[in-house]
Amino acid sequence: MKSKIIPSVRPLGLGHEIQKSKLLRLSKKLIIVMVLMVGAPLFAQGAFDKFDGQDDVTSVIVNKKMFDMIGKVKTKPADKEAQQYLELVKKLDNLKVFTTKSTRVENEMKATAASYIKSAGLEELMRINENGRNIKILVKSGAKDTQIRELLMFIEGARNEDTVLMSLTGDFDLNELSVLTDKMNIPGGEDLKRASKGAKGPKGPKGPK
Amino acid sequence: MKRLTFLSLCFCLLLVGCESKPTLQKYFVENTENKNFMAFDLSPTILNINETKLSAEQKNALQSFDKMNILAFKATEKNKPEFEAECARVKTILKDEQYQQLMKYGSGSEGASISFVGDDEHIDEFVLFANRKDSGFAVIRILGDDMNPTGILEMLSILKTSDINLEQLKPLQEMLAK
Repeated sequence: MKSKIIPSVRPLGLGHEIQKSKLLRLSKKLIIVMVLMVGAPLFAQGAFDKFDGQDDVTSVIVNKKMFDMIGKVKTKPADKEAQQYLELVKKLDNLKVFTTKSTRVENEMKATAASYIKSAGLEELMRINENGRNIKILVKSGAKDTQIRELLMFIEGARNEDTVLMSLTGDFDLNELSVLTDKMNIPGGEDLKRASKGAKGPKGPKGPK
Repeated sequence: MKRLTFLSLCFCLLLVGCESKPTLQKYFVENTENKNFMAFDLSPTILNINETKLSAEQKNALQSFDKMNILAFKATEKNKPEFEAECARVKTILKDEQYQQLMKYGSGSEGASISFVGDDEHIDEFVLFANRKDSGFAVIRILGDDMNPTGILEMLSILKTSDINLEQLKPLQEMLAK
């Protein structure tokens, strides 16, 4: 970079000044780019972290280490169900659940989720509307159709009901989810079950490809 | 002479290096005497376990479990600022990378987290931290030697069958009841 600037600028006489300011601008740009590059994955990861610790929000966060550790539990080989469960748990990275009753936070969640869905490229898996509850389930698929890297569920609560935002990341199969919902007490588990059943059908309501 | 100064310098650096990192261990020691705090040390005898009834795996699990240290801060009307300061201190300590967080729960007025020290299959220490605005907070360290996930499940199964002697925990219960 430097060597390119110097010969073209020098004949003007003001070479030194111009070169300096150019370099300065360049380094500023460089810093911004670097911050973005370093920061982008962090932002994506923590898109919902701002809800953690807010006064009206109840949050549950399970980290990868926890899943790793559960996955290391040795079970008796006869216990098929437990083994299936452990197999799945090993593939999970992070579970974040945020629930709230406040309308202000609900709106904020909605906005954050909407922008996150766009930036992370999530696809809608299904949408359920019943008794004033509005449930959206979105996924980020991997190489295969049923392979999931991230699952996002947003339950818009009716009056006096909790609004739930749930994000589950990892590398798992949609069909394995029912195992999880059976074993774990996740809000909206029933709806998730329906989602995984839907995918089992003959190429159900899933998007293109 | 020069070598001596160098060596002493190294030694000082070593000391400083140790000093700079606040750990829970230190925090416990510092605050055991503080009147806002209550400290308990529990040994596995609290479980009142009849060892003859245990399977080999359960025995192993029990042996890996060493002791439990509890430090509790009792919040009152008067010590609110201290409560917040101490709560923040514990949180900062737990942010250190040696404490790997497993799970976290939080809402506006209360929160809890579980972390551990060691690696997945060789756990040296579990740290439970729970806080509630109007009653205080408690830090529980479960210390062991090479605990592993399977062992923890075994421990839980022991706990179910054990006849826990809650006498040691009475003060804590009284505090939480308030």
